Amino acid sequence: MATSSIEKLATWRARGTRVSEQIVQQGVMMLENGGLRKMGDEAWSFLEQLALASMDIGRLELADECIELLSEQFPGSPRVECLKGIRIEAENKPKEALEFYENALLEDEANPALWKRQIAVLRSQGSSFILRTVNELTKYVDTFYTDIEGWLELADIYAELNIYDLSLQTLAHVLLLASQNPFHVLRFAETAYTVGDVPLALKTFLRVIDMDDSAGQEGNATKRAWWGVKLAAARLLSFPNSPSESQTSLPSAEYLRLLNELAREQLTGTYFPTSVGGKVHGRDAFVAWLGK
Amino acid sequence: MPSYTLSHQAYVKIYLHAAKYPHKTVNGVLIGKKGKSREDSVAVLDAIPLLHLWTTLSPMMEIGLELAKTHAESRELLVVGYYQASERLYDNVLPPTGEKVVGKIREWFKDAIALVLDGNKIGSGEAGLIPYLYNGVTWRPDVSAFSPSSNISLENPRSPSRALDLIRNHKLHQQFNDFDDHLENVSADWLSNAACFDENPTA
Repeated sequence: MATSSIEKLATWRARGTRVSEQIVQQGVMMLENGGLRKMGDEAWSFLEQLALASMDIGRLELADECIELLSEQFPGSPRVECLKGIRIEAENKPKEALEFYENALLEDEANPALWKRQIAVLRSQGSSFILRTVNELTKYVDTFYTDIEGWLELADIYAELNIYDLSLQTLAHVLLLASQNPFHVLRFAETAYTVGDVPLALKTFLRVIDMDDSAGQEGNATKRAWWGVKLAAARLLSFPNSPSESQTSLPSAEYLRLLNELAREQLTGTYFPTSVGGKVHGRDAFVAWLGK
Repeated sequence: MPSYTLSHQAYVKIYLHAAKYPHKTVNGVLIGKKGKSREDSVAVLDAIPLLHLWTTLSPMMEIGLELAKTHAESRELLVVGYYQASERLYDNVLPPTGEKVVGKIREWFKDAIALVLDGNKIGSGEAGLIPYLYNGVTWRPDVSAFSPSSNISLENPRSPSRALDLIRNHKLHQQFNDFDDHLENVSADWLSNAACFDENPTA
């Protein structure tokens, strides 16, 4: 049983799964059964995982125990410093947390983990800190160009501020860095639609569908992309003079009608599966929507 | 200004949605009808949860809104408002996206209301929602809402404590689904969330 706990925790760690309640439940069991020794070197990353999960659900005393063990093993390590900062955040003391990160960054200039926490706290402070957040984050992605998470966060902030063209430009960096992830492409497509560049959106939704096909299975990105194709194709059929900031060329009306029909078939297939047993909700609303 | 009552079901759903995705911004629409006896009253009867993935992007919002409207009409109800809970718990301002969506709803229903979840009030027994109404120029928060003298009220004053109980002790939020969930899996019942139906608690 203990082995399966170790495996579960390791899988969650590897995937970054945020199932904090379950991590704490399994983790506490491990600690009580003396599992730390069995884990060997893995013990340290387990303690980090447990510390984060327990702070997530407000078990601060448990987090303190983990952080203390880690501190003894790795005094002054930036990774442990980071945990200490998050511990201050967990008590809902953003000012103190910011101060802590600023000091820690004086010691270890441009440590990515500490810097990102600092930015996260700035962002959590809402609109009055938004300029400083954008400033720091821009500097950050400039320094760590390959940090996709940083770019995604920046795109998110621009979208929240209603500056969708900058959000789209930011996502273009993400696509350069990780062109194989269909969800990033999907997000680019949805942002293009939001910014009003429907031809670019349509082209990018189709790219998502192509990507998944090559993987040989229909993923969630593809399902969502078909909705996007339906929406964008119908829109372009009704408004053939839709603008395109990116100067994406508009497909012919005939091709658009074909895409529209294809998307309709794909979506209908989802709501009327040929195999028995699969439960389907919202079929009536879908059929009525198609008929509009 | 018309008066608004928020049903137990609608209230609980807003909180279940926020609890299912605590580190995400979530949003959805409110459905209901004009009061029978008084034309200037609005009964918010239910909530339909829309997004948690990219709440600031419009394509899936556009589709979800249309589907929710169609569903409401089949129940002879109207889309009467919008709700949102920020990923930043204490952030209780209606953001530009929210204004845009509720503005769209206002084209269909002129007394549309937006509710923003107020994280400062969770566990206080108060409603923990800030209504935003259109004053002809802009969307303004009504900070005195849900007080005894206000014309915005909960149908059941026990809804806030009951919602917390459903989340903490019954983990009902784990069975809750929004339109984003449904896009991944058509078996997710986002329109009615029947599995999360809660009997109106009596005093």
